[in-house]
Amino acid sequence: MDISSLIDSLHPLEIKVLTAFGTNPSGLVLDTDQLAKATNLEASQLSMAIEWLIAKSLLAVDKETITPVVSLTPVGERYHGKEAPIEEVLAAARSAAGTGGRLTIQDLQSQEGLDPSDVSKAVGRLKKEGALLIVQGGCIESTGRPSPTADRLRTLLQQVHEGPRELESFAEPDRQIIQEYAVRRGNAKEPFRVDDRVARSFRVAPAGLAAAEHLVQHDVAAEEVSQLSPEMLKDGSWRAKRFRKYTISLRAPRISTGKRHPYREFLDTVKSKLVSMGFREMRGALVETEFWNMDALFMPQFHPARDIHDVYFVKHPTCATHVAEPFLSRVAQAHRDGGNTGSMGWRYAFDVERAKRLVLRSQGTAVSARTLASGPATPAKYFSIARCFRYDQVDATHATDFFQVEGIVLGDDINFRTLLGLLNLFAREVAQAKDVKFLPAYFPFTEPSVELHVRHPRLGWMELGGAGLFRPEVTLPLGVKVPVIAWGLGLDRMAMVALGIHDIRELFTNNLDMIRTTRGVF
Amino acid sequence: MPTISIYKSDLESLLASDGRAKRPVTIPQLEEWLMLVKGELKEHVAETGELRIELQDSNRPDLWCCEGIARQIRIRQQRKLRAYPFFSATSKKAFRRLNVAPGLERVRPYVAACASTGYRVTEEGLAQLIQTQEKLSEIFGHKRKTVSIGLYRLARIQFPVTYELVKPDAAKFTPLGMETTMTLGEILMVHPKGLEYGHILADHDQLPILRDAIGQPLSFPPIINSREIGEVQVGDDALFVEVTGTDLPMVVLTLNIFAANLADRGAVIDRIDVRYPMKTPFGKQVVTPRDLDITRTIPIQTIEQALGQTIGAQAVKQALEVYGYVVTPSKGTVKAKLPPYRQDLMHPMDVVEDVAISRGYGDFSPVMPAQFTVGGLSKIEQTSDRARELMVGMGFQEIISNILGSPEQYRDAMRLNETLWGEMVEVENVMSLSFSCLRQWMLPSLLRVEAASGRAFYPHRLFEAGDVAIPDRRHELGSRTETVVGAAIAHAAAHFSEIHSCLDILFYHMGKDYTLEPVQHPSFLEGRAGQIVVSGKPLGIIGEVHPEVLERWQIAVPVAAFDVNLSRLVEIH
Repeated sequence: MDISSLIDSLHPLEIKVLTAFGTNPSGLVLDTDQLAKATNLEASQLSMAIEWLIAKSLLAVDKETITPVVSLTPVGERYHGKEAPIEEVLAAARSAAGTGGRLTIQDLQSQEGLDPSDVSKAVGRLKKEGALLIVQGGCIESTGRPSPTADRLRTLLQQVHEGPRELESFAEPDRQIIQEYAVRRGNAKEPFRVDDRVARSFRVAPAGLAAAEHLVQHDVAAEEVSQLSPEMLKDGSWRAKRFRKYTISLRAPRISTGKRHPYREFLDTVKSKLVSMGFREMRGALVETEFWNMDALFMPQFHPARDIHDVYFVKHPTCATHVAEPFLSRVAQAHRDGGNTGSMGWRYAFDVERAKRLVLRSQGTAVSARTLASGPATPAKYFSIARCFRYDQVDATHATDFFQVEGIVLGDDINFRTLLGLLNLFAREVAQAKDVKFLPAYFPFTEPSVELHVRHPRLGWMELGGAGLFRPEVTLPLGVKVPVIAWGLGLDRMAMVALGIHDIRELFTNNLDMIRTTRGVF
Repeated sequence: MPTISIYKSDLESLLASDGRAKRPVTIPQLEEWLMLVKGELKEHVAETGELRIELQDSNRPDLWCCEGIARQIRIRQQRKLRAYPFFSATSKKAFRRLNVAPGLERVRPYVAACASTGYRVTEEGLAQLIQTQEKLSEIFGHKRKTVSIGLYRLARIQFPVTYELVKPDAAKFTPLGMETTMTLGEILMVHPKGLEYGHILADHDQLPILRDAIGQPLSFPPIINSREIGEVQVGDDALFVEVTGTDLPMVVLTLNIFAANLADRGAVIDRIDVRYPMKTPFGKQVVTPRDLDITRTIPIQTIEQALGQTIGAQAVKQALEVYGYVVTPSKGTVKAKLPPYRQDLMHPMDVVEDVAISRGYGDFSPVMPAQFTVGGLSKIEQTSDRARELMVGMGFQEIISNILGSPEQYRDAMRLNETLWGEMVEVENVMSLSFSCLRQWMLPSLLRVEAASGRAFYPHRLFEAGDVAIPDRRHELGSRTETVVGAAIAHAAAHFSEIHSCLDILFYHMGKDYTLEPVQHPSFLEGRAGQIVVSGKPLGIIGEVHPEVLERWQIAVPVAAFDVNLSRLVEIH
């Protein structure tokens, strides 16, 4: 590597370290302290830069000296603030002697804050030093003599508390006490810790030296900048600057972004496709009467899908104040005997009070029924993406709260064949499918009814939706004289595949990471 | 939509022409045929030959069994309906009698019955009989409320049979599934079926019972059969079938289906003469099975117009005949009569669909609707889309939530108990508390995501635009559905002015001037919440979320949020 590309590859921290070698009169070897002083870097930054330079073979370890250093452990700090066990034992023995009381080893061992093994060790040491006697019955008696260990330990705790010191700086007897009371394997509860402090000196390698000299010569440390600033642009000083080159192959840092929800993005696409096909959007309420949710759709009041186990009923108020006329009377008549719809009707006693019962909208078709009753344009196409609710146990394939994409098409050219034509259009535009199958189907409010199956480019044959011509028992009572197509698309499965998820609950996930990282593809 | 389990070999036998050997059916062939019955093959177990089929049409109970499916396919293949002489009123056989006692009109008025001989019950056949009995009484008969069915060993019964009312302790028999005799009252209190279906007879101090000429109980409809007479076994070749219920046409139709099914398996059906003390829609004497004789005369033009294709009277007649109808054409019309096991003809459109199914949907080429229509989004959707675009531009991640949630999250965790803000539309028939009320504002939806995302890279900026339900006594539905946009910022230093800046941008670009008025809202820190007011109308709230709310949601960073009612914003000009 030539010298300039070597220089280019250096990080600012590395430049500082090499520059220190270049400007140092004392030669090719510098130790850590000298480097810290010369570069003014924090210990962590310095060691990072040194590691990098060693890895690049620009620097090598010259010498390594290991010095044992004594410091206090948390236990030691506690002893320093209070008393060490040996001091406590000695004090207890002396106070027992003063009052003439008996003191056993067991008494001491059960004393709060004293560890039995510490007590044994202290008693042993004090007995050896002649500060204690052990008499019959395991009683301890003070001899009144001092304990050199206890006294030295106090002094040492004070000295080390003032700051870590090299072990060698202590006199031999103190060193022994320190070693004896130092943390070692199997015994963590000691006041002292002896660690090896590693001091290194580094020798600059020939390539490093060349770089160092180059750096000093061109004063690279001074002229290199990492960021272009408005001042540089203003005074033109950028011309004299050297811009540090970045390692652009690194991963970009993460940022938090604003974007649409992937499932909503999918629904937005469907929405814009429907608008482009000439559909107008309808809106409806989350809470509906049974009338608009079912009666107006010619679902008899005894229909199983109206059961307490299929629809959510509202607790309060239970009923709407009224249902608009003339629709209520006409629909009631259609249920009873067909009225003027040409039907025999369901032939049962239609309950007008039941019609007012409030439910959570269970099908998007309720929105279509409202639209039919509102004097819609003819010809016209309508759609809604309506939130619906079903009394269903929630699992990987069942949601209790979901979107339905539904709508109607009305016009005097509407018939079974134009219904199939419309479904063909959906297959092409919504699912990009060329192959379609039309299967006979059943919906309470359409006759004839069709199920649309398509060959999806990725999913193979799948059901895309259901449709049919609204029964005259639906349209005529609502005042619509032309034939009407009712259609619905089942898009959840397509959405799940597009978004790469396998559990329908994940469409409404609360996992922000997942929402952020799921790609909205359609 | 019932799903039934049938066997391929059974289907093949039933498909065979009278007296001919059965032919194997391939699965693709079967799937093709199932279009005739709106059936979908859900599962095929090759080893056992078991087929699970879902039948879509809830108005065609005759198709919810192997016999019915086979019949619909067979008519098409043989191009005519098999003769069922027992449906015709001209048959002069001496009938067995079933007498209905007075009083039943208040409890469970109607009964229909027939006898079946010459078909020996096989294990498979018995399973099918029981399955049909269950599907018809559960789904078509509304869990036995309107229709229930009993099957018996004919040889054990002395005619005439009586359908009458007795006091709960005035009759006893050994019910199916039990070892000892029990009174009707005991059955209601102890027997599993009594516990399951007893509510149908609640409020009646006298209960229905079927007994034969020497007083032997047949059953306690619609609860349970007698074990002695009402436990049909493999090998039996003489059966008695009865249907009781509250709607005579449905009762008769159900019996007709059973009679046709047994006949298709080779039985000879004997009619039963049912005598009522009162007048019924079919008179005081009703001999069953009985053709319901449902007929409509339909102009060919009506059919052609609805289907969008010229078909012609002859082709219409043929299509309907191979679908089971009896058809009489006259000038420009056809008179179409349903077969006796069907009653689903309310409107000529029902016949139109049968013509299309019989000819096959593939026979109709799709045509695009040609009339021009203008598409477009509603005003509120446009407004919501605009707000969403602005929120995304301000760096907010959109979320979507369930609208149905729990009072615990929507009210309790928001500190809104006993406040106007805490009022919600709640569900009466709660299945799970987690899904028992509609959200009344957006903030809980946002906190739901925040609470679950403590490990996701910060800062968090979230928004959702969507519907909420706000209780309103003056509204006909008791609540208003309105579209709101809610946004929340969550990170270690999130505060009021950061979210305020976002609100400011939102309103600026929505073209509306707003003011903030201090408000005491329990979900927000006091002194750090404001009501958003436009043209004197409050339409939202902004503030720093109350630490107790954050604690309840176990959110560990501050959250600042707003909630703006777009529906009300749109109404302000």
